Amino acid sequence: MDIKYGLAATFNSAKEIYDAAGKVREEGYKEWECYTPIPVHGLDAQMGVGRSKVPCFTLLGGITGFCTGMLIVWFMNAYDYPLIVGGKPYFSPIYPFPVFYELTILFAAFGTLFGMFFLNRLPRHNHPVFEHPSFGRTGDDKYMIVIEIEDPKFDDEETKDFLKSVGGKSITMIREPIDS
Amino acid sequence: MSQINTKDVDIKLLAGAVLGIGIGIAGLLIGLSNGDNAPFLGWLWGGSFWLSIAIGLLMLVMIFRVFNSRWSPVVRRQQEHGLVVFPWLGLCFLPLLLVALFGHENAGILWSWINPDSPTVDGITVAGDVLHQKKAGYLNLYFFSIRLIFYFAVFSGLAYWMRKVSFSQDIDGDPKWTHLGMKISAVGIPATALSLTFGAFDLFMSLEYQWFSTMYGVWFFASGMRSALAITILGCLYLCKQGSLKGIYKQAHQYDLACLSLAFTVFWAYISFSQYFLIYSANIPEETFWYNIREINPNTGETSAWFWVSMGLIFGHFFFPFLYLLFYKNKINGARITFIAIWILAFHLLDLYWNIIPGREIVPGAYVGYEARPVVGPHLFWGLASLIGIGCLCARVVIKSFNSQIAEVVPVRDPRILDSLNHHE
Repeated sequence: MDIKYGLAATFNSAKEIYDAAGKVREEGYKEWECYTPIPVHGLDAQMGVGRSKVPCFTLLGGITGFCTGMLIVWFMNAYDYPLIVGGKPYFSPIYPFPVFYELTILFAAFGTLFGMFFLNRLPRHNHPVFEHPSFGRTGDDKYMIVIEIEDPKFDDEETKDFLKSVGGKSITMIREPIDS
Repeated sequence: MSQINTKDVDIKLLAGAVLGIGIGIAGLLIGLSNGDNAPFLGWLWGGSFWLSIAIGLLMLVMIFRVFNSRWSPVVRRQQEHGLVVFPWLGLCFLPLLLVALFGHENAGILWSWINPDSPTVDGITVAGDVLHQKKAGYLNLYFFSIRLIFYFAVFSGLAYWMRKVSFSQDIDGDPKWTHLGMKISAVGIPATALSLTFGAFDLFMSLEYQWFSTMYGVWFFASGMRSALAITILGCLYLCKQGSLKGIYKQAHQYDLACLSLAFTVFWAYISFSQYFLIYSANIPEETFWYNIREINPNTGETSAWFWVSMGLIFGHFFFPFLYLLFYKNKINGARITFIAIWILAFHLLDLYWNIIPGREIVPGAYVGYEARPVVGPHLFWGLASLIGIGCLCARVVIKSFNSQIAEVVPVRDPRILDSLNHHE
């Protein structure tokens, strides 16, 4: 048994996929992706992909870390076991600043890493596009656009014709095998 | 080749320079005759603002050179025009040195340790102060004079060579200039770093010769880099609007410069806070008084106006630009980055003011024997005159360098120019 995942079309150059990606975006497709062997500058913008949301997680992590640091110092030194060290106040934002600072950095790094995992839906062990017989060549000399069946505009015949019209070669339906 | 200005801008700058420097010099003469150091502090403050920017530009140019950076040539050329100011700044600092050398009883008017008979806040003279005796091997007039001349020689010499290697390549396109520039920068970066560090010790830290901080030079470096980046951004955006860099200075360049601004905002805070933090933790009177007079009235213990300036620096010079520059749109949008660049320059000016002005003035009847110089006073007036005068002079020579046929708008024959023109985020 298998289910349809999406239609794949290959291209032979960065320029071809760049132009095609613009047309796919203009056509109004939402659930689609480009696969390229090299980074193609400007392809993100051409696809209409916005900026990454990872920085939001970094900022949240940083703020959390800063507050956690303050809380630790306040709880330990001023609340749970008040202790005078070196004539400094029980709690002040100055002498324990390195603690706030280190925890800000640490939690910001955690936010970045796990935010990236979360947004990329990682870890993930397999992906339906791997079923495409020549998907490996997108790591070598081929460029590929895959429009997913989930897309509201998706239609077997129309999308196939559309991919052909933007210059796509060897248009293939990717099928994802499922256990039955 | 593009020209920046029309004739009337040039006349305005010339008028500003003559007027500002004229008032500043007149202030120095008045101060010298009646022993008032306010005009001297003002002059030091006004000149140092432009000096810090020029040093930052020199460092940036040499860093771009030594790393053979691909994106920078378009931006670097504009900074090279800025480097023309060093000999002029040297001239502007000359009066301070001349007074120190030939001022007789007023020689120590700005840097009190220069005159051995200057009274100290402890009721003795400089010559009798062990804190000066121990430093006299470094803090003596002859070594000080040689050092000041040496600093400006290093800055001016490196600036001359940075301009020469870049402008010569415009003419013959020989890659040897790139290699030469790299070699000079490799030597020039440590030379400039040492010069600016000891320069900051000599010009600012020695105003209170009893006080010491090893962070001080790095603070001056961080400040200079921040303001140099701000000036670079403003200059490039102006040249885009005016047409010379239109379509050449791209969003990617803008973004990278803004990222550097963010990095140095954090660096400045790191250094400034570390200095405070170490002195606070060690709690040694010889060091803490420096921060005390910037927070409280030393005689009454009440919060003084300097406290609010200090708070202004923490929030205005760090927190606000830091949070502002975190956002991508604020880095690439022309109006938004212009706003924060001007903001950083304004607070850099306040930062220098905070570092230079609040010294201890001996007041015999006072509880601790001295009072902190107030935030607003004649030094502010003299300082603003010098700031505007020296600024107009610097702007004029930079625009002159840009308008002369000495170089193309961008280094057209730099081996990295294509990379820079096609720079992409």
